[in-house]
Amino acid sequence: MPLLRTSLSRKHTTIALSWLAGSLLMGAGLSAQAADHVSVQLDWLPAGDKAFIYAGVKEGFYSKAGLDVTIRPGRGSSDAVTQIASGNADVGTAGISSLMQAAAEGGVPVKAVMSIYTKQPDAVLTYEGSGITDLNSAIGKKIAMPTFSSSNDIWPAVLQHNNISPGSITEIKTDPSGMAPMLAQGRVDMTLNWVTQSPQIEDVLTQAGKKMVTLPLSDYGLEGYGLALMASQKMISQRPDVLKRFVKATQQAIAFSTEHPDKAAEDVLKAVPEADVAVMTKQMSNSIPLINNEISTRDGMGAFTPSLLSTTWQWVARSMDLKADAVDPQSIVDTRFIGE
Amino acid sequence: MSMLRRFGYRYASFLVFILMVIVWEGACDLLKVPPYILPAPSAIAKAFTTLPLQRWLQHSWATIEVALLGFIMATIIAVPLAIAITRSKLASRIIMPWLIVIQSTPIVAIAPIIVVTLGAGTFPRVVITTLISFFPIVVSTATGLASVPEEYTELSRSLRAPQSREYWQIRMPYTLPYIFSALRVAITLSIVGAVVAEFVAAEHGLGYLILFSTSSFKIATAFAALMLLIMSSLLLYGALTVLQRRLFPWSEQRN
Repeated sequence: MPLLRTSLSRKHTTIALSWLAGSLLMGAGLSAQAADHVSVQLDWLPAGDKAFIYAGVKEGFYSKAGLDVTIRPGRGSSDAVTQIASGNADVGTAGISSLMQAAAEGGVPVKAVMSIYTKQPDAVLTYEGSGITDLNSAIGKKIAMPTFSSSNDIWPAVLQHNNISPGSITEIKTDPSGMAPMLAQGRVDMTLNWVTQSPQIEDVLTQAGKKMVTLPLSDYGLEGYGLALMASQKMISQRPDVLKRFVKATQQAIAFSTEHPDKAAEDVLKAVPEADVAVMTKQMSNSIPLINNEISTRDGMGAFTPSLLSTTWQWVARSMDLKADAVDPQSIVDTRFIGE
Repeated sequence: MSMLRRFGYRYASFLVFILMVIVWEGACDLLKVPPYILPAPSAIAKAFTTLPLQRWLQHSWATIEVALLGFIMATIIAVPLAIAITRSKLASRIIMPWLIVIQSTPIVAIAPIIVVTLGAGTFPRVVITTLISFFPIVVSTATGLASVPEEYTELSRSLRAPQSREYWQIRMPYTLPYIFSALRVAITLSIVGAVVAEFVAAEHGLGYLILFSTSSFKIATAFAALMLLIMSSLLLYGALTVLQRRLFPWSEQRN
């Protein structure tokens, strides 16, 4: 009997251990399945126009898709493309013009997988009383622009498109943080920014008793895709299913953020306590017309059409003085991951 | 010396600081300096309340951690290099040009390349900090090792002491004041290095907070972070002085 008891006890122990090991393995399998890690590289510091990524995390769009997402702030679109290309991030947001430039310089293992802005975000910001009401009235005035920005590159091309000599407007290149104070102090007459950045500049102008005026460059013939979601070639080839889920969840997060910009801004605040909810809400609101417009309605959310891609490339090529056939714009996108 | 004069002498730097703050506050108020150009000290003090204490500590620790790791790595690399330079002329001929090349290279310019090459995380930030802070330690330690009086080393040799003993018992103790002088310079440089690294790639840290705040024109918050950076630098500098006083009091007297 003692022998039987021992053998039963051993049997039970074996069963219990097998069950425990099985549970652990299953648990590990489930958690691995439930937590496919995706690192997202932003093209700039946390801001309202990137709120949809934070909303994706905080509102659970990514976790419901079985994704564990970490967000890395960036230092510009070129930096974001480089970080994705070097494997420091799986996916990211960046201006598609940066990817086109990189492609023209020899190419990078990165593809745009979803369009976010179907209109260009670049704008001239000035104030009432500056005498600037359109691009023609800007002749002879001073404009401040960031030292490194894709907006700088397209600026001469936009002027030429409007039959204005680029030399007729004085350019002052400065750090982005110095632009609004210079405008408020009247040291320059206008600044070149993304329209999504205008709420912070409006804040500074209001403190100086000035009212901001925005001249979107899309009103002056600038067409093309702006911000896009990109993925590394490694992610595309090795984890296509994860990427597909990420793209779908991002689309849901964008839809949520455009509907509730205030909630999306609060989601940024939960991750970045130094953020200003009011400014972030305005930034997200400012990006809505770049996301939801007649182009996205016609082509579908996230789509890339060959004609608009070609137009985007033509602007980049003209701005950067590149040969028109240097890049096949279709070669830098991969639209297989966009959901219906 | 009267009590008032003694008080003034003892707290001179603190009194000058208080005076500067008063002048700064008054100038901002009288000249109506916009806060987006230069915030008044009162606005900076108020900015400290815009974030929870835990967040300030999180940012401060992120910077101090990288600065300390970079500083330790710099010391571990620099002291053996200095020994090699003083022990062997060949080593000196090989190492010195490289040290000068590294020191002449603007680390700010190559920091983005370091981040891309070494990947995400703390390590590239520590490397940037090390590169910025290690040079003074090498130079000062090598100078100290080379300036040991000949009679000391001759005595050691006459007693047939091995070279390792000569280094550990004569040269290194003699060099300690030089090393600590260099370490004090390096610790402040390591804070600069950590900030440079955070400007290039980081999600936390006082350098990151300055960049984030200036990008959203919260200049008072940026100044508050700057104040914490200065305090961190002073704290680490003071900690080294205390360390030297506790472990090698004789070297401080000689220094």
